[in-house]
Amino acid sequence: MVDEGERAVLDPTERHCRRKLRRRAFLAAAGGVAAGGLTIGTAAVMSGGTGKGREPGGSPPEGEATAAAEEAGTGPIADPLRRAAHLLRRAGFGGTPGEIAEFASLTPEEAADRLVDFEGTDNAALEQRITRANFNLTRLRGGDGRPGMASDMRAWWLTRMAYTSRPLEERMTLIWHGLLTSELGKLGIPRTKFMLIQNELFRRMALPRYDDLLKAISRDPAMMVYLDTIQSSAAHPNENYARELMELFSMGVGNYTEQDVREAARAFTGWRLTAPPRVQLPEGASEAERRAAQDAAAEAYEPEFVIQPRLQDRGMKTFLGKTGPFGGDEIIDIIMSHDAPSRFIPVRLFREFAHANPGPETVTWLAEVWNGSGHDIREVVRAILKSAEFNSEAAYRAKIKSPVEFVVGAVRGLELETDFRATLRFWGPMGQTLFQPPNVAGWPGGPAWLASATFFARLNFLDAFLFPRGRPLRVEALLAREDAAGMVDEALRRLVDGVMSDGARAALVAHAESIRDPVERAATVAYLVLASPEYQLA
Amino acid sequence: MLSRRDFIKGGVALVSIGTTAQSLLKGAVAFAAQHEGATNPAAAGRILILVQLAGGNDGLNTVVPAGSGAYRSARKTLAIPEEAVLPLAEGYGLHPNLAGLKRAWDEGKLAVVRGVGYPNQDYSHFKSMAIWQAGDPELKLDHGWLGRTLEKLESEQHDPFLGFNIGSSTPAELETPAVSIPSVQDPADYGFKVRGKPADASEPRTRTLLKLYEQYPAQSPYGVLLETTVEAAVASSAALAEAARRYRPAVAYPETSFGAGLSLLAEAIVGGLGVRVGHITLGGFDTHANQAADHGELMQVLDEGLTAFQADLEAHGRADDVLVLTWSEFGRRVAENANGGTDHGASSVMFALGSRVRGGLFGDPPSLERLVDNGNLGYTTDFRRVYATVIEGWLGVPHEELLGARWEQLGFVAG
Repeated sequence: MVDEGERAVLDPTERHCRRKLRRRAFLAAAGGVAAGGLTIGTAAVMSGGTGKGREPGGSPPEGEATAAAEEAGTGPIADPLRRAAHLLRRAGFGGTPGEIAEFASLTPEEAADRLVDFEGTDNAALEQRITRANFNLTRLRGGDGRPGMASDMRAWWLTRMAYTSRPLEERMTLIWHGLLTSELGKLGIPRTKFMLIQNELFRRMALPRYDDLLKAISRDPAMMVYLDTIQSSAAHPNENYARELMELFSMGVGNYTEQDVREAARAFTGWRLTAPPRVQLPEGASEAERRAAQDAAAEAYEPEFVIQPRLQDRGMKTFLGKTGPFGGDEIIDIIMSHDAPSRFIPVRLFREFAHANPGPETVTWLAEVWNGSGHDIREVVRAILKSAEFNSEAAYRAKIKSPVEFVVGAVRGLELETDFRATLRFWGPMGQTLFQPPNVAGWPGGPAWLASATFFARLNFLDAFLFPRGRPLRVEALLAREDAAGMVDEALRRLVDGVMSDGARAALVAHAESIRDPVERAATVAYLVLASPEYQLA
Repeated sequence: MLSRRDFIKGGVALVSIGTTAQSLLKGAVAFAAQHEGATNPAAAGRILILVQLAGGNDGLNTVVPAGSGAYRSARKTLAIPEEAVLPLAEGYGLHPNLAGLKRAWDEGKLAVVRGVGYPNQDYSHFKSMAIWQAGDPELKLDHGWLGRTLEKLESEQHDPFLGFNIGSSTPAELETPAVSIPSVQDPADYGFKVRGKPADASEPRTRTLLKLYEQYPAQSPYGVLLETTVEAAVASSAALAEAARRYRPAVAYPETSFGAGLSLLAEAIVGGLGVRVGHITLGGFDTHANQAADHGELMQVLDEGLTAFQADLEAHGRADDVLVLTWSEFGRRVAENANGGTDHGASSVMFALGSRVRGGLFGDPPSLERLVDNGNLGYTTDFRRVYATVIEGWLGVPHEELLGARWEQLGFVAG
């Protein structure tokens, strides 16, 4: 499904050609509006730094801009700042100007290594921030002014994404959440903490050997509930997990038979979780006491994976052409020795990081990296981030930002302070509620992120976030610049690599000039740049 | 309805901001102009509302072979007792929670198509859904089957709500590069806001924003998608706000999101937005466990929603224009599993509901004795026959090109 959705936009210009013709016809009729006129002012804007020197954006070196425009879609991203910003957007959630400058001083190889080998990076500042925010990660219901666990888990994770010093760690956690999905709705409120356990598994195994991750997720409490493993027994194998393990988590459709699904399902039978603690109820307990006791039991529950031999089918299975008394781990080993995952998982990762349309040579190359590294995700991701294709104009702005990238990118780019609790009501309308993917295939992504309703949701999020209770937020990063044009350029530098057409920049400057109050001007400029088409792209 | 004065006022505002919003607002303006004389040609147009029952609806417990011994022995705990089934004909009856649809049946407004499926049933939700949405088991036809249909309808009618989806993103069957399909979940949030208050596209900050989209080069990746999204958003939010002013529901819709979505579809229809194809999803049908309660609840949500929708359209005098069609990516295994549920199956049932539906049973019943693929219902009626019937028999668009082959239509559309 992901593939189809993404593939459908491989060539958006071709795909939407009819609309485009209509638009062009309209523009012609309207009397020759200067359409487009893209100039890439990156070099000028981004090296403009903190405001001394030349007026950025206005007149980039002519030759440079033209050459860059001509190269668009083929050559490498030449400007180191733009390349660093691209890398930080894709491997993380966008960079602050400081981070971008730091990564721009590295070679693409060094930059990728620094992101991938993150274990040595100190993350104490994030952990201190988390402690200060006092997120409710233990009590199912809120109270005393604190939110319930399910909402605070979202605020907690978004805070991690926004303020981590190890962006790839959070990025991979999100990627695994979208691939190896589970969902709060099916788990039910008492099992809310299962999603937190799963989230911590994904973070702990952010860059694993994929075989190990599959074995771990197969025993993960949330997954075992979500795909019905805990209900599957020898007498009545449930096919749900076995099917999705192959279809979505490892091989893709067309590489196994319905018989393989049935045989694999038998191998995961008898997989259970330890029982939750008994609910202790005092004599004649009230409804409120009963609920409190049930909540306390659910909160205290530490589910452990167990195999119940009498529910397990230990008989012979024939799976993908091999026969034996396989259990679940052997099924995973057989899947991972098959050729199909080498063309499925690395391609999925490539699409997450680079763009939707890897050519056949890239697919083959990715399979070699996959096989050569023994399915080591760390090496696959490292190779992708270092590749010429990733660092090319073809990948630049070639993806639609997800709502998470859209929001967290704004916080990072403008160095805003938030605990994200005020953002929570917007995620459903924007189409990405963490811990609640729409179905087992995760968020379809790509063009599905943008429809008229989700577009309005993005705009209305920005309006509420930048004008809380109708009053402008102090966007300090932009308030450092006093003149309207300077403020616009600072926002462009921070949020869209300074790359915007002259006409659009002029419209922004004109609007900024019409606002006197600097606080309101800064919030308005932030709104407009974050709502711009450029910023919707990653 | 927009008055001519409102329209002109809007026009004056547009002039001052140049071509930007003129382009983006052209849909809304065309809408306003069209409705000025209250002669929306679409008012006479027939409307198809597609209801997706996502997850694989258990056809056997929806339209129940009440008298079948094979059904009872395969469904030890899940079989609906014969006396509880709401009888239709030929020994078949509806799930007990489908009382509203039973009344529609009695009034001749409900057609039931049995045994609907396709060759080489795929048991993956996503693949099977993709097949239904493309209208092609080979997945070789471009875009969605209703997207292709909308392209044809669009050649004769331009309305921002020609296709209308309830939800947050366009479902694959409505996909087409040629027509923008608005997706609306909550109409209160479907529009621009400035400092938390609704604002129209002529407000200064919004005007500047629209200029940014107008300036964005369409040849860049996603350039056209971005532009068409904004264009559709601007035009459709203005139109929707206008429809909301014109419509009051004539019945109380159930307080479910499905009910709210159907009410919004009724608003768009009654409000004269020119809808020809609407889409709404009811999810949760993947009943691997605890089916009796979950499926029963879904049947009730479906029944209450559709019943209110039909009554509302009848009260507004629009029921003759609307046909509701339900579909699901597959049915479920005949035998229940050990978790009080059923696993992915093959053929299932579809409902067609409407005042101009010819009620009755269509499609041969699949055999409960001769199962296929290890315990599944074979199909007797290719889903493309149903599609051909609504595309050509109802919407009046020749189906052969759209479905890549000629299919014999079923007779559930009354003249």
